[in-house]
Amino acid sequence: MDQIELKENIQADFPALNKKILKNDLIYFDTAASAQKPSVVINELSDFYLNHYSNVSRGVHTLCVEATFKYEDARKKVQKFLNAYSENEIIFTKNATESINLIAQSYYQRYLKSGDEIILSVMEHHSNLLPWYFLRDNYGIVLKFINIDSDGNLNLDHFETLITKKTKLVAVTHLSNVFGTITDKKLIEISRANDLHILLDGCQSISHIKVDMQEIDCDFYAFSGHKIYGPSGIGVLYGKENLLDELPPFLGGGGMISEVTYDGATYAALPNKFEAGTPPLVEAHGLGVALDYVESIGMDKIEQYEKILTEYADQKMADLDFVINYSKSKNKTSIISFNLNKIHAHEVASFLDVEGIAVRAGHHCCQPLMKLLNVTATSRISFGIYNTKSEIDYFIDSLTKCKNFFGVK
Amino acid sequence: MSDLLKELYQEIILDHGNTPRNFGKCEPFNKSADGHNPLCGDKVHLTLLVDDQNIIKDIKFTGEGCAISIASTSLMTQNLKGKSLEYANNLFQDFSNLVTGSSDELQIITEEDSLYSLKGVGAFPMRVKCATLSWHAFKSAIDEK
Repeated sequence: MDQIELKENIQADFPALNKKILKNDLIYFDTAASAQKPSVVINELSDFYLNHYSNVSRGVHTLCVEATFKYEDARKKVQKFLNAYSENEIIFTKNATESINLIAQSYYQRYLKSGDEIILSVMEHHSNLLPWYFLRDNYGIVLKFINIDSDGNLNLDHFETLITKKTKLVAVTHLSNVFGTITDKKLIEISRANDLHILLDGCQSISHIKVDMQEIDCDFYAFSGHKIYGPSGIGVLYGKENLLDELPPFLGGGGMISEVTYDGATYAALPNKFEAGTPPLVEAHGLGVALDYVESIGMDKIEQYEKILTEYADQKMADLDFVINYSKSKNKTSIISFNLNKIHAHEVASFLDVEGIAVRAGHHCCQPLMKLLNVTATSRISFGIYNTKSEIDYFIDSLTKCKNFFGVK
Repeated sequence: MSDLLKELYQEIILDHGNTPRNFGKCEPFNKSADGHNPLCGDKVHLTLLVDDQNIIKDIKFTGEGCAISIASTSLMTQNLKGKSLEYANNLFQDFSNLVTGSSDELQIITEEDSLYSLKGVGAFPMRVKCATLSWHAFKSAIDEK
């Protein structure tokens, strides 16, 4: 078989992959939910606590210097990874959800009034729905949803029909967590032509395709560190500096102030303005190390490799007439949602679990989309840098076993 | 006391920290700026009188802060009074290099200069902002249109 490897013996970098599920080797097909961590990240977290730990920014002692430098170094690494213009454009949060909530609340205060419109899509994750629902429910902001075509691509003609003079912002996924569809660049062009601000939910795109903020030219981009082989508890909000500068702060507390009196406060400059309280400093460092690891392999190679895996799985699944594949876009990667005829996704996931294969089953935090697809749930496989074609072969065999076990024709 | 600390708190720093020169407000003045370090609360208010030949005729400051911050401001005013804005800009760059450990790139400041006494700050990265606070305030005062 034409087995290709991203990096020699890459699975050895991820200790969690040594785990046995019953007697079977673990096959981890759930990277879209969260990625496994390489040893370098795990060890660096430990080293930080063992040798360099203190709070950041508010002290002059040696440990504070070391911790602060590691934290700020992580910001530089994120800036470089995203090719953002400035470090001030990188805000550390706890996850993408917080990043999007931050933008929703601050953007509303600065730019919106009742009756203004925001455009989302029908295939958004709950984390890119609920923050905007709050604005609809509390402040009378109107939400509209871009339809998808039968292959799971955003219908950009429909998008254009939704835009009115009251539309201010479009907030959509950059890579669908259900279909793996990559959002067409044309969405940005249409948005720019209509003077809309653009937020991309980068939770999936961050680890599967090369992202370059200056090239993509969105205004805001949110992602979680744990999806790109970093620790949980650290997220990033990218925003264009001039826009972030204009937005009021989201959370109030220590570290985000310039001067405080009993009558009020003035705020720190970017990026501190949006980082109230002790930040997830160790996790930020862990994210920086994860990005170094990913870059040592190369995002171009990763993107190419995962597309090959996805195409391979697609072909193999197409040979099985009892499999319904919902991920049909020609412009997709790394994520495939599917069902087996007449077997609930939870049965499929439990069966595969016993086989050693970790897949996700459920609504994938996309309940409205599941309703649109007229399913209660789907199973989902998603690939990371440690997956291989031979794992896909094993998975395909297991699907047939599953069908036979449940006696479905 | 360690050598690093002796290096940081040279006699001249303690002297200027305790009895700052040019403390007060220029009367009249035509340029001013505030500097504020939110991390420690240090504040400086600068006033300048710059003539139409771009010469700094007078420069004074008020404010509160640590010895490094006050001494740095005091020494800055001494070194800028009577000088041109062009010279001041170059000195700003030189001083930044001095306190961030790039002293091999110095163009103006020599080992004999009073400002050279702040070189020791380089070993204490968190104190660099103390030393540069007033310099940044100065920069914003002269860059203001």
